[in-house]
Amino acid sequence: MNAVAARTTGAFGAALTEARRAWRWPATLATAAFVVALFAPLVLSRIQTQELAAWLYLALAAIGLAFAVGLAGMPSLCEGAFMAVGAFTAAQLRSKAGADPVSATIAGAALATAAGALLGIAFVRLGRVLFAVATWLVAWLVALSLAAFPELSGGARGLPIRAGAFTETIHYELALVLVALAALVFFAIARGAPGLALAALRVRPPAARVLGVPATRLRLGAFVASAGIGGLAGALAVQLAGIADPAGYGPFLSFKLFAAVLLGGAATALGPLAGLAAISALFHIAHWIGNLENVSTTRFEPMIAAALLLFVLGIGGGGIVPWLRRFVPARTATIEASPAPPPRRFAGATFAAAGIRKSFGGLAALVDLSLTAEPGTIVALIGPNGSGKTTALRIFSGTLVSDGGRLTLDGAPLIADTTTERVRSGVARTLQRTAVFDELTALENVLVGAGLERGYGGAIRSALATPKERAETERLRGEALDILDLVGLRAAASTPAAHLSSSDQRLTMLAAALATRPRVLLLDEPAAGGSAEDVARLARLLDALRGDGLTIVLVEHNLRLVSAVAERVVVLDGGRTIADGPPAEVAREPTVRDAYLGTHRL
Amino acid sequence: MRRLSLLAMSCCCLVFASACGGSSSGSTKTLVIAVNAPFSKTPYIGTTIANGAKLAIDELQGSGTLPIGDKSYRFRIRRYDTGGSPAAAVRNVRRAFSDGAVAIVDEGTGVDASWSIAADDDVPIGIVYQGGIDLVDPQERPNVFRIVPTDHGIAYRLAEYLLPKRLKIAILHDDSGYGEEGAKALAAAFSGADDAVTTRITLPSGATDLAPQLLAARRSGANAVIVWAQAPVIAKALIAARSAGWDVPFYTPPAGADPIVRQELADHPEWIDGLTFASGRMTAEEGTAPYYTFEGKYRQAFGLERVGVKTRTGNVVIQPPEHAMYAYDFVNVLAAAIQAAGDPTDRAKVLAQMEEVTVRGANGDERAFNEKNHEGVVDDDVYFARFHDMTFAPVEDDPLSSTLPTVSQIEPD
Repeated sequence: MNAVAARTTGAFGAALTEARRAWRWPATLATAAFVVALFAPLVLSRIQTQELAAWLYLALAAIGLAFAVGLAGMPSLCEGAFMAVGAFTAAQLRSKAGADPVSATIAGAALATAAGALLGIAFVRLGRVLFAVATWLVAWLVALSLAAFPELSGGARGLPIRAGAFTETIHYELALVLVALAALVFFAIARGAPGLALAALRVRPPAARVLGVPATRLRLGAFVASAGIGGLAGALAVQLAGIADPAGYGPFLSFKLFAAVLLGGAATALGPLAGLAAISALFHIAHWIGNLENVSTTRFEPMIAAALLLFVLGIGGGGIVPWLRRFVPARTATIEASPAPPPRRFAGATFAAAGIRKSFGGLAALVDLSLTAEPGTIVALIGPNGSGKTTALRIFSGTLVSDGGRLTLDGAPLIADTTTERVRSGVARTLQRTAVFDELTALENVLVGAGLERGYGGAIRSALATPKERAETERLRGEALDILDLVGLRAAASTPAAHLSSSDQRLTMLAAALATRPRVLLLDEPAAGGSAEDVARLARLLDALRGDGLTIVLVEHNLRLVSAVAERVVVLDGGRTIADGPPAEVAREPTVRDAYLGTHRL
Repeated sequence: MRRLSLLAMSCCCLVFASACGGSSSGSTKTLVIAVNAPFSKTPYIGTTIANGAKLAIDELQGSGTLPIGDKSYRFRIRRYDTGGSPAAAVRNVRRAFSDGAVAIVDEGTGVDASWSIAADDDVPIGIVYQGGIDLVDPQERPNVFRIVPTDHGIAYRLAEYLLPKRLKIAILHDDSGYGEEGAKALAAAFSGADDAVTTRITLPSGATDLAPQLLAARRSGANAVIVWAQAPVIAKALIAARSAGWDVPFYTPPAGADPIVRQELADHPEWIDGLTFASGRMTAEEGTAPYYTFEGKYRQAFGLERVGVKTRTGNVVIQPPEHAMYAYDFVNVLAAAIQAAGDPTDRAKVLAQMEEVTVRGANGDERAFNEKNHEGVVDDDVYFARFHDMTFAPVEDDPLSSTLPTVSQIEPD
């Protein structure tokens, strides 16, 4: 018992120390604002408290939407529909079944979460445009359903709800706490492992996938969270309003929330609040001017929201909060020296491909490709453009399914059929083109690759920053720095990837792939566009990795690099293997010279 | 530092002064009467209701104040726009309380939820436009009163008037609260006459063209149409029928007399000829004098309400202030209740007095409520009027209507 208490105290102490270290004046400002806001009902009138609470519930829904839009990069246009599901579930339960406010709220949020899960399963694999269209249709569908089933929605008269135990002050305090909690959770998740993985997915989905980021699961989680928070906001807001009015949950609500999130800055915790505040202020100004002229401006609200959305998109989609951040002097991130980790060893595995075939329509891309790569060796795949090299790598990494043949790892068949599972099995790949995650630093890029190793990096643990999660993060951070050291980029650890040179970006990609703890590393033209010095640096790195026991399959056009590092070369032409052997032997093959080398020398 | 303290003290004084201001100045206290109506969606109805309420308080206090007990008060009308939304209407009622409203003159939207909020503070709500059957219930909703014909009354009078004609009737209603309540009332009124009703169709309020719905009504074999809908929808229904050459008689609730119907049909004045609407009678049994007096006062205060169309001979058509009458009457009942209570701040007493006092209405009828009846208009006190040449006149083939005079709707020279 004493040991548990001591561990808990220690964990709290460590958490406090960490929080103190990370504390900055914006956090002081936010805390002060929260405390002042808590006491606002003391000076506000009942109606002001009520209206502010209604606004906070809307802000809660906006933060919920930011989980989908900001974290996962999914342009969800149906947050209003989730609010409607929560609202009408709660309203029905309160007015027809006599449920208490808490049960009605929980039921509303739960049904919206379930609806989000169902829709998410159907939609999260869609591309952004189709996703936006699909969710926009959902917004319309819910609005039309409310109109079509007056027995559910109360029709044009709405569903009145008798006042419950929650006064407007309770609603206000509850809304304020929920908004603060949602913003904190957003902030914690965005900074944690799920946030890194989602940021990677948002920026470059294919690159994230080859690092084993579970795209579908993470996106589904973000979408379901947005639905649940929207439903919770709707269920509470409708009880505050005292009536569920179907006209209030039309597609414009979703559009307004979407515009608010983008306007404020989708990827920031306070962005949705800032965006919604800006839109609400504009609506108020419009109403005020309208009142002076005796004109109702309600009908202009969608136009104002649309104009703001266009404005934000026109200036690059950043939003208010990211723009304001430019005026806050950034604290130089210091990468502290971590205790020297034990020398990293890559436990390579024997990777074998036998009789791999792939056709695209009538075109044979690969015909009976077979190769074997042993631990501590580098096998190069070369050939002219279109010869099937990248197709082979895509099949090896699980992004493409072969028509026939067999892949084995240490003799065991590789049956994993998704990229994530393949990476989990120990087969990692870098992409042909430079594909770093621009928004993240070099260190964070590497940490994306380390995501699969996490045992305590889920959304809840990240949101709560549990001791195990923090300890794991610290360990992985140390290992990531070690990998950056290995590729020669430790000094650039805190540099945004977008600011790195293209050759450093390629090394960052390689480091991220190494962070997945691969047993087999598939490299797709890592030297492309590099100077002679870059190629030499890469050769030294590959040599070191081989020395560590890693199995490497290298697709490369730079024959100087191939001849310098590869033990074996497989030459492809038109999908067929035309030569296979040590570089010197292959170079002598006349077929190889005719098909690929020409006057070049291997 | 001293300057800073002075500045802070000045700010505090300013805040204190502004907080203390607003509702009272000297010994006169201002009492706010809120008008909660769809000013932006159907401006005619909203403005007419607000004008009726304002006319009543202007008459009561003149340019001065109204002595109640040993204090003097000044009434003030404050407008709140519902935009036709129940949620906005409920929000408005809360705002009105915050503004110190002593009563709500309400078009009817959102009362299902707002009555309980008002009941907590014993604030009376007077419905002066919507006639929904269950909006008023003295037992359940003791603070809700109504001075306007009920949907129940209008629907039964329509059935009573139309069924003997042996018409085949298509019943159309829109999807607004007004339309849905009307449909319920019509269903009850025509429940024993299924063979007279060929079809019941819901008209989408937002549709720009109602031709499909009118075609369906025509195909049902109807030779008459009842449209219970908001005024713009009635206009669209008429346009859809007439432009397709379907020249059957149209019957509507009071919304048919809304100027917007005639404005929409200004290019085809002949299409509105024959449109018959049911409404509360404007003139009382004792004669036309009280109504004309009210009309004169209304026009003096707010000018002529021009419809925006002309007759075939070029005369400018004006609108009688029918809905203003009901708001005017409700405010008078309220003022009488406040006087009887002797203290407007004792809201429970004022509410109790609402069931005790009796006033003479704008058309000469008595307006009063009691603990069992919060309806200020007798249920069958409904007449029918038919349009011809952009003006309407009571019909001749209904016993009550045929006794009523035609109210002039031509702008005097």
